Amino acid sequence: MGKQKKKDRSAPLPYVALVLACAIPGAGHVYLGRIKRGIILFVTITALFWSGVGIGGVMTVDSQRERWWFVAQVFTGVHGVIAWQRQRRVHDRLVSGKRLDLRDRYDQDVLDAKLQAEGLALVAPADTVARAYSGVAGLLNLMCVFDALMLSIMGVTGESPRGKDGSEQSGKARDA
Amino acid sequence: MTAWSLFYKPILLSFDSELWLLLPLCFAVALVYKTIRIGELRRLPREMAFVMAYIVVGLIALCVGLWLVQEYWP
Repeated sequence: MGKQKKKDRSAPLPYVALVLACAIPGAGHVYLGRIKRGIILFVTITALFWSGVGIGGVMTVDSQRERWWFVAQVFTGVHGVIAWQRQRRVHDRLVSGKRLDLRDRYDQDVLDAKLQAEGLALVAPADTVARAYSGVAGLLNLMCVFDALMLSIMGVTGESPRGKDGSEQSGKARDA
Repeated sequence: MTAWSLFYKPILLSFDSELWLLLPLCFAVALVYKTIRIGELRRLPREMAFVMAYIVVGLIALCVGLWLVQEYWP
């Protein structure tokens, strides 16, 4: 009974895996003992996201004008939040504290003119490439989050050796 | 200063380079997908190359198909 309790305590906690995977790409896999995979995921998703921001500049992550891209970008966790905060700081400086209604055509033109003047306006084709890179990075991390969550629910930890039939063996199955 | 400018101001891209920039995106998708799915990590480079080839060939086939539709559709 005591042994069983000890075993349960060492089992991965799904919500910890979920939170880690959402916050830092690959961290959920590292938590599950899949360290090499976690590092590969972190490096790939981080490089893809920041390549997008490198191409598109600070306005790549734009919560007001590109909402759907923004939702995808924020799935990169800490990277998305950092890029969003940078964009907000620049946006607030440009409008100098005034609240612009970006559904209004005049306010849109005012902001566009200020972005043009600072050389920050995102134009085609850089806008498409930048947002595709950073958005796809977020969606790939979403896939990693689901994977980490499912693995933790199934109790899979560590690199999974394949069984004789080629299928993956879970940690519990290996322990048995 | 250059590094700051790199992540601050957009890079000027030509429309010709846009399609080539799909390759790194395909590479990243293939790498992440296979890292999650594969059983043994030592098989990762080969499997990833296959997936990337599938994606690129699929995109080219789609392009050709759409071009044919656009050109020859009555």
